[in-house]
Amino acid sequence: MTEENKRSDLLLVGDEFAPLEFYVTPEFSENYLHAVEDHHPRYTEGPGAIVHPALLIVFSNNTRSPSFSLDPGTAAIQTHELVEYHAPGRVGSTFHVTFRVVDTYEKRGRPYQVVEAPVVDENGAPIITRTTTYTYVGGPYPRIGS
Amino acid sequence: MIPLTPDVEVGFRVTGPVKTATPYLTRLFSGGWPRTEDWPAKNVHTDEEFARATGLSGRNASGAMMQGYLAELMVDMFGEGWLSGGSFSLKFVHQVGMDDSVTAEATVTGLSNSGQGIAVELDVSCKNQHGEVVTVGTAMGIIDAS
Repeated sequence: MTEENKRSDLLLVGDEFAPLEFYVTPEFSENYLHAVEDHHPRYTEGPGAIVHPALLIVFSNNTRSPSFSLDPGTAAIQTHELVEYHAPGRVGSTFHVTFRVVDTYEKRGRPYQVVEAPVVDENGAPIITRTTTYTYVGGPYPRIGS
Repeated sequence: MIPLTPDVEVGFRVTGPVKTATPYLTRLFSGGWPRTEDWPAKNVHTDEEFARATGLSGRNASGAMMQGYLAELMVDMFGEGWLSGGSFSLKFVHQVGMDDSVTAEATVTGLSNSGQGIAVELDVSCKNQHGEVVTVGTAMGIIDAS
């Protein structure tokens, strides 16, 4: 069930963020090659140019979901990450990401939310599967380091 | 490129290039859809005021950016094949501040035969310019022994 009107830090097991679809143009790809200073030709040359893994990771964060929302002064922070790489993504492809909460727990007063986010290409082929643990800071939540 | 070969041994260690999380590169990475009116999106990675409002000491680089550095190292070590079967398990243990310099490294901890080649287990980390570990975990990859 997609919980489009619920504050993101309140989503529980089984809840979903709205899915995201994005198309990777060569310009979009190059933006991320600059950001991580990785200019290997495998990411730019030819019709089979690969999308840098960093782009696929940052655009499958729960914060990229169209339904992601928090109160002002609150933010999501990644704490743990499991990533399985299934196949290279290709520049010029459209990618589809779904986000489902698979666990929530509290540790030392801090809330944690585990989100599974498979990324598939336009043919439905699996590209990466992420299982990311987020915590929330600001607002009612403890400061980082406290 | 530091390709692993079938005669690699446990203890073999590889260090990636030093990357500096400058304010500009961090904004490029975490600012959302590039070349739009809304760029850069305001978040804890792109906006000092936003970050401080959540109780953080200031802007920080995204954990996804550290994953990008580590993925570059893995693809350098295993080749593009790492993107079809490689994996990470990571923990983000310290914030990466603006202009911090980060180095990704990997150490081979285990080798075994798999149906596809030699399965390699690694300890991986990103360390800042003070030698502090900011991201730590494990990775898996396959060396094609054919």
